[in-house]
Formats: sequence, C-alpha cells, structure tokens
Amino acid sequence: MTVLRATPPALPEVDLRRRFDAVIVGSGAAGGMAAHVLTSHGLEVLLLEAGPRLELEAELRSMEWPYDHPRRGAMPSTAHALTLNEYTIREPPYAQGLPWKNVYSYVQGWGGSDYSKNLVVDERDHPYTGTRYAWVRARCLGGKTNIWGRLALRLSDYDFKAKSHDGYGEDWPLAYADLEPYYDRVDLYLGISGHPEGLAHLPDSRFQRSTRLNPAEVLLRHSLARSGRVLTPYRAGVTTDGLKHNRYRSRCFGRGACNRRTGGCDIHAAFDSPTGLIYPALDTGRLTLRTGSIAREVTVDPATGKASGVVFLDATSGRSLEARGRVVVLAASTLESTRLMLLSRPPQHPNGIGNSSGHVGHNFCEHVMGPGVSGFVKDLVGKPRTLDDGRPGGFYVPRFRNLNQRRSDFIRGYGFEGGSGASMFPHTEMTGFGAAFKKQVREMAGATIGMGGFGEVLPRYENEVALDPAAVDRWGIPVLRFNFKFGDNEKRMCADMAQSAREIFDEAGIEITDARSEIRTEGWSIHELGTARMGSDPKTSVLNQFQQSHDVDNLFVVDGSSHVSASCQNPTWTIMALCWRSCDYLAERLRKGEL
Amino acid sequence: MTITRRHLLRLAAGAAAAPLLPPAAQARGPLPGGRFFDATELALLDELTEAILPADAHSGGAHAAGVAAYIDGRLAEYDPELPPLRAERAAWKDGLAAVDALCRASSQQGFLEASPEQRRRLLEALAAAEQEPHSDAEKFFVQLKDWTVHGYYTSRLGIHDELEYQGNTMLAEFVGADPAALPPKGGPR
Repeated sequence: MTVLRATPPALPEVDLRRRFDAVIVGSGAAGGMAAHVLTSHGLEVLLLEAGPRLELEAELRSMEWPYDHPRRGAMPSTAHALTLNEYTIREPPYAQGLPWKNVYSYVQGWGGSDYSKNLVVDERDHPYTGTRYAWVRARCLGGKTNIWGRLALRLSDYDFKAKSHDGYGEDWPLAYADLEPYYDRVDLYLGISGHPEGLAHLPDSRFQRSTRLNPAEVLLRHSLARSGRVLTPYRAGVTTDGLKHNRYRSRCFGRGACNRRTGGCDIHAAFDSPTGLIYPALDTGRLTLRTGSIAREVTVDPATGKASGVVFLDATSGRSLEARGRVVVLAASTLESTRLMLLSRPPQHPNGIGNSSGHVGHNFCEHVMGPGVSGFVKDLVGKPRTLDDGRPGGFYVPRFRNLNQRRSDFIRGYGFEGGSGASMFPHTEMTGFGAAFKKQVREMAGATIGMGGFGEVLPRYENEVALDPAAVDRWGIPVLRFNFKFGDNEKRMCADMAQSAREIFDEAGIEITDARSEIRTEGWSIHELGTARMGSDPKTSVLNQFQQSHDVDNLFVVDGSSHVSASCQNPTWTIMALCWRSCDYLAERLRKGEL
Repeated sequence: MTITRRHLLRLAAGAAAAPLLPPAAQARGPLPGGRFFDATELALLDELTEAILPADAHSGGAHAAGVAAYIDGRLAEYDPELPPLRAERAAWKDGLAAVDALCRASSQQGFLEASPEQRRRLLEALAAAEQEPHSDAEKFFVQLKDWTVHGYYTSRLGIHDELEYQGNTMLAEFVGADPAALPPKGGPR
C-alpha cells in the first residue's frame, strides 16, 4: 500500500505588472476548478486566495491517536467553538462579548478541533451582523474543500426543472442533459466512490469502487426497499481506486480518519482543491497563485464598462494592490463572492457590479438540518468487535418525497445522511456509572446507527444578505448583514423529516434512543447558495446559464451563488460541473475575441 | 462554605493523608500532588473516576488509564486570566469538596475513608439526578462523568483494551457487505 507524497509546487513572486487572461478570486471547489479548466485551455491565469497555503499534512495528521495529543485533539483552552445554544440565544457578531482569545464556528466543537483550527476563520477577525446564522468559513488555499463532508451527489431535472414540477420559484436555465457530460468529467478527473442505483432523481456517477455497508445498514437497506426507498453507500468525493493522472493524491486506504475530525484527509484521497485541481494546474506552468491576497473590489474600465481586474489587500503588509485580467472569475464562496460584488461600486454599477437586477444578495437558499434519529440494532449488541469505520462515509437515503406523488403540506424533499457501527469514540450517552455503565458502552459500541436529514430550503427574494452600513472586518472591509430565516415550507418539511426518520427506524426494527425534531440554526448545513442566481431574464437574475454576468460580459461568478435552487442534494459536485462547463464557454469566447 | 471545605481538604492533605486511604489506594503508594490539584484532591478525583469507569474482568479502569492525571493536566493549562476557565477550575475544586462534604454528612467520613458501600450509595444518589442536576454536587457529577468518559475512551487503554477498536489502520480492501450483492434497486414513487 503506497501513499503518494509529491512535493507541492513552489510559489514564485507574482509580477502584478502582467495582464493575465483571467483573474480568479478564491481557491475552493469553484476557484480550483476554474484554474484547472482555464489553464487546460492554454490560458494564463492568476488565482488570488485570501488565506495562507498551509502544509495540510502537518495540520491534519489524520492518523494521530487521541492519546498522542496533549489535549486529546482539543484546541488550547483559550479557544472556543460556538455552541448550538450560543447560536440560539445570541445574535451576530457572535464573538462580541465573549471572553475567549479565539472564537470559531460550531464545526470546531467536533472532535479533533486542534487539527483544523488554522483552516477556519476566527470569528473575531471576520464578524457579520443581522439575523442568526451559523456561517462556517475556511480561509486558506482550498477553503472548505480541505475539510468538507465529501458527499458528492448529482442534481437531476427534479431540481433543474423544479418550477415546472411544482410551480414554485424559477427553473434553472439549463437541464440535466446539459450538465451530465460535465458531471462525468468531474467524476473521472477527481474520482468518486459509490454504487449505482438507477434513480431518476439522483443520477448515478461514473463511480470508482463503492465502500461497503455495515450489518445495521444492510438491515436498513432491506427494510427501506420494502417501501420502494433506497439506502446507498455514501457517495463520496474520494478516489477509492486511485487517479493515474494525479501524483498528489493517494487512493483511499479506509483509515476512517475523515469521520473522526472536522474533516480532512492528509493523503488527499478525499478531494481537496489544492491537490485535486490547483497543484496540477500549477504544473502546467500557466497558473500563477498568490495567497494572502484579500480581494477588496472588482475594478472596471471606465471607457468600456468591462471588468479590468481585482483590487486586493496583501495580508502581510496590508498594502492595496491590483491584479489585471481580461476576464474576472469570482469563486470566493457563495456569500463572499456576493459581498465582493456588493463592495464593487464603480459609477457604472452603483448597486454593485453585475447587480442591475437588484437580485445580488437575494434568493438566498441552502439546506435545513436538525431532525434525525439514533438507535441500535438489538441483535448486534455484545457481538465481537469488527472494523466498521474504515471508509470515508456511511450511507445516504435519497429523497423520497414529492417525486411522483405530491404532498399537500410541503414541496420539494430531503435526504438522510447516516452511519453505523463501531467507531473510535463510542456512544456514551447512557445514564449511570460503574461496571454496568462500562459494560453497556462496550456492548453497544458496534450496534449503534443514526441518521440526520438535509432538506431543500426554498429560495425567497426576501431572504438576503447586504453590506452592513457600519461593521467592518479586521481589514476594514464592510461585512455582510444577514436577513435570512427559514419559512413555513421548511418547518413543515422538518416535521415530516422527523416523523419519517422515526418511522424508517421503527419499520426496520431499530431501537430508537434519540429522536430529534428541532431545527438547527440557519447556516448549519454549510451549503449557502443562490445569492447571484442564473436565469434567462436579466431583470430577475444575475448570471446567464454560463455563470456570466448579464451586465458585464467578462465577469463570471462560478460558485454556489449561481444556483437557482438548493435541491436537497449536496452542492459541491454541481458547483464543479457547472464551473467546468462555464469555463469551457469562457475560454471559447475569449479565444474568439468575444469577451 | 466551600472555601472552608476546600481548606479542610488541604489541611487533610498537609497532615497524614495516606493512612486515611482505603487499602486499595494505599497499595498504590504515596500519592503526589498534581499540577493543578493537591495530593488529596487528586486522590479523591482518582477514586471518583475509577468508581465511574472501574477495572473489571474485561479491562482496566480509569485509574489504570490515568484519567485523573489527564484531567489535572488539562486544568493546569487553563488560563486563569479567562473568567470562564477560572470558574471551571474553581468548580472542580468546589465539586470535589462538595462530594466529600456530602459523604461526611451521610457517613461521618470523607469519601476517601468511606466504605465501598457508602461510596456507592453516595454516587447513586448523585447519578439519580444526572438528567436534571440541581445541587452543586449533582452538577459536579455530570461534569465529572463527562470528563471521565472523555479521558477514558480517548486513552490507550480505553481505545485498545476496553473497546478493542480495530480501525485507524490502512486497509487494502473495504470491509462490510458489498452493495452489489444486495437487493434491490428503488425508484421514484
């Protein structure tokens, strides 16, 4: 079993006197993909990343045992992770008034927080205001892809043509058939693990070998099948067979490390943007990368009204610098790209660049979380120990609501993510103490199973972010003010989610130990979407189907902000497929001199 | 009140603590103080953690896993300049004193001198309120159990001896049931 260890490319000084073909802002799933595709077309590309390049292997140390860490993986005592309770009773900016030296979002409250503390932002430096929102951000090369949950799902025409299906919102300006070849390319270039199920609403990918199911999951798969539903092995954005074309990424060796911590894979079997996209792009010699470069605004040529580049602050010196490009590609994450558009207010674009529709910041959508269920399988209690967590994820139960039969209480749907079996950290929620408690923990350790829902949040114009008129971040840049709340459809959907979760376990004969019905704080899914949506009508949308600004034709916004609706399926793979398609279009137009 | 109790504990530590220990503790030899707790507090914490997760026929308990020393080390590194950390440190000292005082009230002896039966009755009373703790001692029990569980199941002994955890290793093949061998496929309804 060989782990690949290629040295990352060195980063030379960047000559900002050059005018690049494209300047990309952000290096996560979208920015990395834009860098890959544009350089593959022979373009000279500058990629700006606000955070540092971290040596991820040294940060993540995926296989370090808890007892080999002085705090068993916990952050220093002076650092604090926000809790669900704090998100519930406090209001943003969350760090304000808290005594800790460092304050992080809730993901740092999971196990092994010391390994990811340098990847995520300190809330003190990066405040926001307005309504309650659990906003998770990673500011480093690769962004959230370094610690993402890895569930890699396709959307279908149930999503792209959702309005045609149920009358709500807008259809996407493209169909599954348009995106399918790009999903294929993403699958083959980055690697994806899964098992084909032939579902119209969750199209199969070009899978590498699937992970396997634990006994409790086999039981649940059989039980669900009796009602025409599906439990499938976690479709993970992880290469399980390896990638011959990528020398930075090893195949998955089932270490299970990605589930014990906030996330992350120090052998890069799980996709991350640096090793999956950016380092190979650097190897072409056509990509220039500048980290510590905090984008401040998109500049506009006063003569032509076109985007001319990006003004950014150097994180070390604080100096304001400018990068120039024939095309500007925003990929800073849904809400950061939106913020950047709103911050860019040349005379031609008084409401923010590309915002003649007034829709930038609006139609904010995501996934709602909270309802779920935990339990155990009686027949598995006390059985000899087996290896159950040697895989990058457990299982997924695809959407089963509002497909061919319509419900009257809510539209759209939800899926469940779950897992089961023995893990490094056992279930210890039982009451009591002493030998009986210890025996119970031991005997239950391999018998537990749990799952939680991810539901589609409808895009609504009134759910929005805007610039706060007063508050600024550590760099003096105005921050976002949230005005975002779940609506009645989400609440009714979650009531059904909670009920169906219980029914699914009951029908499978799984003993339920915990059934949750409460909705978690907005933002919890870390799937912000929709605030610069695509559409055919420039009056009601920001971008066309190629993520190109209706107003400024050499400005592209290639991250989740372009999504027209949230689907209930996780967005990362769709972000990358859309970005690939748009960058093919961008390169062709640029080649023809049309941008 | 709590200051007095803590004071008494310290006095006990300063005097001859060892002869007062029950035989099991004496067998382990004289107990040094910790980095945060004094010798008597650390002895009390060690006994309490062992009572929560005891040695049994299957594996060692919290004592063998070094749980008290782990908790002591973590608390020693708490920055006392930060009010919540200062408060948590105080809660540990007060909590230990409260348990000891409760034991004296019910059995006329401190926890370290109490019989196994007296200890069991005391902890059962505290554990009965685990879901809804009210008194300081009950709240402390929840905190104590939480940290004992964390310290034990992240220890070498807890992971390997007690749970016989098999993972965190390199696999040539994934283990479990092959989904291709399982029925059936579903579809939209």
